[in-house]
Amino acid sequence: MDIRIAPEPFDPQIEEAGFTAGRRDIGAVVSFTGVCRERTNGEGVGELFLDHYPGFTEKEIARIAADVAERSQCPEIKVVHRVGRLTPGEPIVLVVALSEHRANAFEAVRLLMDYLKTDAPLWKRETGPGGDRWIEPRAEDIARRAKADA
Amino acid sequence: MVKLVFLGKFRGEGRDDLAVPPNVMTLADLKDWLAHRDPALGEALAATRTHVVLNQELVHDMALPIGDGDEVAFLPPMSGG
Repeated sequence: MDIRIAPEPFDPQIEEAGFTAGRRDIGAVVSFTGVCRERTNGEGVGELFLDHYPGFTEKEIARIAADVAERSQCPEIKVVHRVGRLTPGEPIVLVVALSEHRANAFEAVRLLMDYLKTDAPLWKRETGPGGDRWIEPRAEDIARRAKADA
Repeated sequence: MVKLVFLGKFRGEGRDDLAVPPNVMTLADLKDWLAHRDPALGEALAATRTHVVLNQELVHDMALPIGDGDEVAFLPPMSGG
């Protein structure tokens, strides 16, 4: 398990390559990268700020990842999450799961993203034409998380 | 001295530097004291999905005592990923 909070931009391909280097025992690498969008609901986003609680945020993401690793039977998980100021086009989050067969890695990545959206101690603030706005979790994210729980 | 941390939309100028008086002895006292000082903040914190973190542990029991050296954080609904 490899959990990291990144205050600076990161390259998902380099991160993934580092995680899989030298591994001959795995048959599946599944990764997801979330990227800062230029537009949200038709409105332009100039900048995104991701607030976090140092120490606690890392600890909670590690707890979520451990839980998902157990549920999906996929212990090899890497999470890199950006914090601070981001501009459109920059990666926000990378999740990589490695497993012998693909089903476990797919399941791990899907569950991780469902939980990270609603349970990771991170807070987004968008700066657009109308000024700054803190983002609340979307109803569909909460619904997806509830489904992941089932 | 109790250290306060406000995250996300709870952040506010000077809030993290507020000096908590010694008669604030529990988390519930602290919420009351904050609401009394700043009704808008009190209302925001009273919202159902505010999480309270005491010394880096998520807590639900507002009767827990707080005192010198403790860190209390107030977390709004999370919006990561």
